[in-house]
Amino acid sequence: MDLGLKGKGAIVTGGSLGIGAAIARVLAREGCNVAINYRRHDTEARKVVEDIEALGAKGIAIQADVSVYADAEKMVRTVVEELGRLDIMVCNAGITWDGVVWKMTEEQWDQVIGVNLKGYFNYNKAAALHFKEMKYGKIVNISSINGMRGKFAQANYAAAKGGEIAMSKSLAKELGRFNVNVNVVAPGLVLTDMMENLAPEFQATALAETVLGRFATPEDCANLVAFLCSDSSRHITGEVIKIDGGQYI
Amino acid sequence: MSRVGVIGIGHGRFGRRSDATVQELAFEAFREALTDAGIERRELDASVIAAVPEYHKQRSVAGVVQEYLNLNPLPTWLTEVACASGSAAIRTAWMAIQSGLHEVVAVIGCQKMTELATADILALMGRVGEVQWESVFGTTFPGYYAMFATRHMHDYGTTREQLLQVAIKNHYYGARNPNALFQKEITMEKALASDPVASPFCVYDCCANADGAACVILAKEDKARAMAGDQVVWLDGLGCATASMSVLRRPHLTGLPSAHEAAIQAYGQAGVTAREIKVAEVHDCFTIAELMAYEDLGFCEKGKGGKYIEDKLPYIGGGGVAVNVDGGLKAKGHPIGTTGVSMAYEICRQLRGECGERQVPDANVGLTHNVGGIGQYCFVHVFKNS
Amino acid sequence: MFSWFGRVSFVPYSKVQDFALHLRNGYLMGSRCKACGFQTFPPRADCPECMSGEFEFVEYTGKGTVWTYTRIDAAPTGFDDDVPFTCVVVELEGGGRLLGWSGETLPQDEVDIGMDVQVVPRIFEDTPDIRVFYTIEKPGTTWHKAPEPHLG
Repeated sequence: MDLGLKGKGAIVTGGSLGIGAAIARVLAREGCNVAINYRRHDTEARKVVEDIEALGAKGIAIQADVSVYADAEKMVRTVVEELGRLDIMVCNAGITWDGVVWKMTEEQWDQVIGVNLKGYFNYNKAAALHFKEMKYGKIVNISSINGMRGKFAQANYAAAKGGEIAMSKSLAKELGRFNVNVNVVAPGLVLTDMMENLAPEFQATALAETVLGRFATPEDCANLVAFLCSDSSRHITGEVIKIDGGQYI
Repeated sequence: MSRVGVIGIGHGRFGRRSDATVQELAFEAFREALTDAGIERRELDASVIAAVPEYHKQRSVAGVVQEYLNLNPLPTWLTEVACASGSAAIRTAWMAIQSGLHEVVAVIGCQKMTELATADILALMGRVGEVQWESVFGTTFPGYYAMFATRHMHDYGTTREQLLQVAIKNHYYGARNPNALFQKEITMEKALASDPVASPFCVYDCCANADGAACVILAKEDKARAMAGDQVVWLDGLGCATASMSVLRRPHLTGLPSAHEAAIQAYGQAGVTAREIKVAEVHDCFTIAELMAYEDLGFCEKGKGGKYIEDKLPYIGGGGVAVNVDGGLKAKGHPIGTTGVSMAYEICRQLRGECGERQVPDANVGLTHNVGGIGQYCFVHVFKNS
Repeated sequence: MFSWFGRVSFVPYSKVQDFALHLRNGYLMGSRCKACGFQTFPPRADCPECMSGEFEFVEYTGKGTVWTYTRIDAAPTGFDDDVPFTCVVVELEGGGRLLGWSGETLPQDEVDIGMDVQVVPRIFEDTPDIRVFYTIEKPGTTWHKAPEPHLG
């Protein structure tokens, strides 16, 4: 299927690692020019840009704290200038800082909400301002099945992930008239470095839940995201698509 | 062709008539007209009712009026062309008589404007223009005429003061007409200070809605002479023309092409020119409308309407045609279906010499100019008293 | 879907209802008669010249001059939150006239008869449903057009 992404411009937040990096590479494979942002992993970010350029597309990496709106606005401006256009915004940057509620500090809560939920608001808003003028745009927000079912010791992360879903639906309603699609991809467990920090018994429990008997690769998620960034999915908006191998049905 | 004459006239009080239904209002005017004609109800052949139905809760107003006036089983029907309905009904009655189908026809204009809830009335008024391309942007009736005024001021240098002079004149005469809604004169200071409605108009540029009824009874020539003798006023010239509903398709916005065309027809048929007209009732729904009427009807040259009123020519004894010396729509109020009949009533009184302090000297030829909406319909009638 | 057009709609259906769809995508469409070529704005399905019912949409530049205008202070129902607004009638390049609101680049007290203007397609942003309109702006005002989607 030719997704028709050749020459388009995309931003992927948290694009130096894991799902974000895979999304950036897959979009580049489809001919899209991609800008990523990252917090700490500058080496990995540079490697992603190299891979993008090896695929024949243009790549940019910007260091950013996604919880700052002004940086989001600046990144959109920079990308429109340097890539020539912006058609796609994928919000993926996220952190975890687990703990059961009676031990969870305010800082744990604020940080996770600030990076995950506020961060998505910042980039969704900056993109919306551009897309509504262009009368075209694709926003994909990466959530999690934990945002739909909750998770032990992840009240903050689950709240952010659930909030991203409600926010995305609201934006779909507001932006539909401008020909902008807003969708959510909700993975289950994905083979990334975030997952490597999980204890083996948690991994095993998760695998047992998953009817397909395997975990998603970052590329599995990226393929779905690429589809949602294309006009092949032009009639899908305000939707949440799980990609969890049947971990949560 | 033999003539058709008005043998009897009647008029009710205009205003917020929350004391009466539309048929009760009609009865006031009808009773007065019958008495004035000196005839019995059974001497009528038919009636024509003028009303704008959307403002009434009662559907098919003509039927309920006919019943209440105890005119069953005589023929009746409604004529409606917005604010020109009254004159359209008169033209219809004239045609019915000239065709030979009827001999004596009562024309009753009756209208309530205040029966619906305010929000419903406002919503109705919001649909006054071309609803597909214009009303969707909140055009209003004053807004449309205001666009004419903007253009007239640009092309001819007409001023706001000249426009308001029209209102001042009409309130002066309205204060001397017991049937008028507004009984007080107004000053230029008060007018200029009133709330803006649609630039360049303020409240005093605009007529007010009102409830009210009027009636004229028409008869074919030999019947008219037999029934009413010297009192007959002859309807000798009838003009009617239409123009686009939408302001987007008018050739210009400094006059009403339909009025100009209707006047040519009416003058031609009556064998008169504008110079012979002594007294006129014109459709002053807004000040600019009367000003444009002076020009469209040939009372003055195109563009000179502002000067005409500034020099006080349309006052009694002013040297020009005496215009709206019963207060016009501005001071009487504007029950939209009734207004055309009210205009005919005043011209008949003038031509009969019955207007007392408001009498125009030697009034022998009079004219009514009745416009529907923003000029999509216009009826001009020329009356003579001999 | 003609009901998309205007702040308040009174007309849900029309033979030219795709006008609203095109307007949403940023295209101002008039009509041209396929039989005799008569072109006009607003678009109409039936030709006033030759009576044919075969028409096609034709894109207008939106350039024009002010023919007349008025600033409305007393609002009709449904427009209470919009007053005061200025209704402007524009004579359009391409033929026909258009009535719309003066926009942000054109302060109400600067509107004057004869001035050159640009009509710009707009989408209402404060309504829960899709509503489209146009504003009258200074010449040179630009806007973006969406790629035309499938119609129907």
